[in-house]
Amino acid sequence: MPLPTPLQGIRVVDFTWVRAGPWAARWMGTLGAEVIKVEWPLNLDTLRQNRFTVPPGVEPGPNSTGQFADTNANKRGISVNTRTEEGLELVKRLISVSDVVIENFSSRIMQRWGLGYEQLKKIRPDIIYVSMAGFGHTGRYHWYGTMGPAAQALSGLTHLSGLPGEPPAGWGWSYLDDTGGMYGAISALTALRHRSATGKGQHVDLSQMITGITLTGPALLDKTINGRKGRREGFPPGNRTVWPGAEVVNNYRGPIAAPHNAYRTAPGGYNDWATIACLTDDEWHGLVKLMGSPGWADDRFDTIDGRLDHQEEMDEQIEAWTKTMGKYELTEKCQSAGIRAMAVQSSQDRVDNDPQLRHRDMYVPMDHPMLGPWKFQNAPFKMSKSPARMSSPPPMIGQHNRDVLEDLLGVSHEDLLDGYENGVFWPSTMDRYPYIEEALR
Amino acid sequence: MTSANGNQSNGSSGQDGVDIGGARSADLSLPGALDGLRVLEICDEKGQFCGKLMADNGADLIKIEPPGGESCRSFGPFLDDIPHRERSLSFWHYNTSKRGITLNLETKQGQDILKQLASNADIVLESRKPGYLESLGLGYDVLSADNPGLIMCSLTPYGQTGPWRDYVSSDITQMAGGGQMASSGYDEIDVPNAPPIAPGGGNAWHIGAHYAYIGLMAALYYRFLTGEGQYIDASIHEACALTTEGAIAIYLSTGDVVQRHTGRHAAPDMSPAIQFPTGDGGWLNTTRSGTNLTPQRLKLLADWFDQSGMAEDLTDERYQDPEVIASENDHIVSVMKNFFMNSTLMDAFHGGQQRDFPWGAIRSMDELVGDDHLTDREFFKEVEHPELGRTFTYPGPAMLYNGSPWRISRRAPLIGEHNSEILQGELGLTNSKMLLLAEGGII
Repeated sequence: MPLPTPLQGIRVVDFTWVRAGPWAARWMGTLGAEVIKVEWPLNLDTLRQNRFTVPPGVEPGPNSTGQFADTNANKRGISVNTRTEEGLELVKRLISVSDVVIENFSSRIMQRWGLGYEQLKKIRPDIIYVSMAGFGHTGRYHWYGTMGPAAQALSGLTHLSGLPGEPPAGWGWSYLDDTGGMYGAISALTALRHRSATGKGQHVDLSQMITGITLTGPALLDKTINGRKGRREGFPPGNRTVWPGAEVVNNYRGPIAAPHNAYRTAPGGYNDWATIACLTDDEWHGLVKLMGSPGWADDRFDTIDGRLDHQEEMDEQIEAWTKTMGKYELTEKCQSAGIRAMAVQSSQDRVDNDPQLRHRDMYVPMDHPMLGPWKFQNAPFKMSKSPARMSSPPPMIGQHNRDVLEDLLGVSHEDLLDGYENGVFWPSTMDRYPYIEEALR
Repeated sequence: MTSANGNQSNGSSGQDGVDIGGARSADLSLPGALDGLRVLEICDEKGQFCGKLMADNGADLIKIEPPGGESCRSFGPFLDDIPHRERSLSFWHYNTSKRGITLNLETKQGQDILKQLASNADIVLESRKPGYLESLGLGYDVLSADNPGLIMCSLTPYGQTGPWRDYVSSDITQMAGGGQMASSGYDEIDVPNAPPIAPGGGNAWHIGAHYAYIGLMAALYYRFLTGEGQYIDASIHEACALTTEGAIAIYLSTGDVVQRHTGRHAAPDMSPAIQFPTGDGGWLNTTRSGTNLTPQRLKLLADWFDQSGMAEDLTDERYQDPEVIASENDHIVSVMKNFFMNSTLMDAFHGGQQRDFPWGAIRSMDELVGDDHLTDREFFKEVEHPELGRTFTYPGPAMLYNGSPWRISRRAPLIGEHNSEILQGELGLTNSKMLLLAEGGII
């Protein structure tokens, strides 16, 4: 018998779309909550239309993208038009039997639907309501919109990354969609503990942009306390802790250290790089020994000051050595000598070449109705008594209408069929998919 | 991601002043969400942020440091640039709302004290090397023997099992293995042949901490249902590997590997650049909407640019045709770039947002302090450091809890600050016992 999941019995109404919101609800589902995603086919979740993740040979369509699949696994899905009276009424009925509501619309959308916190509380007094707007629901710019990259820019995160004297590099993907999603789950779970202790629900008003600011702590304190300028020479220092020639100050990645960089490895392809970081003089001497105690690595490099003074030469020489081997060989050599090192891993490396992720079951196969056997990203922790679980592929749009509307909400089969005819459960302008017809039989 | 789902918000109606139509933080006289939970934290830089997330929500968190203090007290920057283990701003930030004791866990007396503390704790969070606490007789089985409701989380670089379990790491090596670096760098037009670049700020530790926190909160709910505690083996490597947006799904779908580019969504091809310089030396991130223009949105831009005579020909009727917009994309982008170069960063940012373009100004710490919106949300918190007679400004929370306040209840603990309060006040150790522990190097 499988072990129980930790959030058994919790029901989540998921109004979210795109990435951050769905990712939040996805983890509630992976931890065992029953997540019901509410959608409407005429306002398709943009990940259902993601142009990069329709596998070759799969018929394109809203149920065929890999990115939607992973972002929405372990959920059920219904299609309801909340702009009809009946649709809105059913959504309210769903909320009345649920524990958590999560949404990531612009602020005030839910209020306009009559589903602001004050109204939600009337429907379900102990409801936990997590809103995930870009700037939050409170504050003068609450109505500003963000997607991850813009939120990263505004939060200060982008400015912390890149090479000095060049444009900010920031993050080459949407860190604050992933991490904004984490904070959506963090908010819901924190409020859930409060409810367990007090019986009370609440509104958690999360801001994706401010989430980023909370991840700049030491840099922000260096500003508010020491008055150090954020825009300064030699900052940000790339992969190093201090840029060669720049003032020796801490640039917020742990202790000042050298070497601390990415180095090319054989055979010199796009992702043939590895990182090495020596945080102490002892670690440096270990690396020197590993490199065969070459003549260049003399006493100029014995101390951190010397290594910072001669960083360019040191990095060039280290790279001459790293280029003689592959990134995994380098990693193993360094690690066997206690040196902090790791290959720069692409997505392909993580899925196909990383023995640790394989050992830990990071990618869990499940059958997906359109994509076939498909790998889903597992939780990054093992819980001994109530593990996270990959329980189902993502819902095809409207897939669970009958289960949810009839079995959970008590809609009669006749009313369900009527709702399909009059645009409540499916747009009258759109053909129904075969799986929908089948479910209605 | 928060666009309006076909039901646009007040958009160009302009800012509507201070708006508290969302949530307000619950009154500070109320308990926090994790009030009543006792947490023991045995963590360096890898786990201290997870501890902060709990402590600022009201958990009674006792940080257990080695005599002399935790190693990450030596991380700069330091107060007034004077290096000292009580002046690390990094340590200050990551250890708010905690109390602290010192304890040498490699001695029998230290171990006995930890066991005593664990016997009525709710959570133990630790980030020591895999197997280390167990080797001292302080594994989960021992600590939970008389406390079956105990939840213990080990947050380590690669987890407790597997071929890499004993690998050593730092923030940058975790970002290499996790995939952050393979996705981050520059467009060729910005910096040719740029290396993969690890984003700054210590985010591998943050990413690990977020997932550890989620595991802990889930375990708390399970304990609420069943009374049972459990052990959680959390891996920073796995947490980072999960945090690369679409990279894995793209690879699984098509075999394509994402490219490095400047500051935008993950993509396997070189999608259009979206980061543009402004006249005052700033940079504007236009997400990707700059090249996703409908005729209506193009007109909004054209009318705006036209107010300063910089629309060129974009007000022309012929741009009210999606095909023309597509074929003239390069020209449209060049008009935008020219406008931005004649604008200030904040004017371009606000002007765009007021027309529903979800753009972001790239702000440094210099621009964050004093921000109006953050002030409306009472984001910045004044924290007193009584031993210095000074008060400093700290960042607040990402979210407002309207039923259970988030708060920094105290500054980070001094080394061993609460030894007496906890070891004598709670465990009842005598003055002479404390003296012997101190002289024996145990506290």
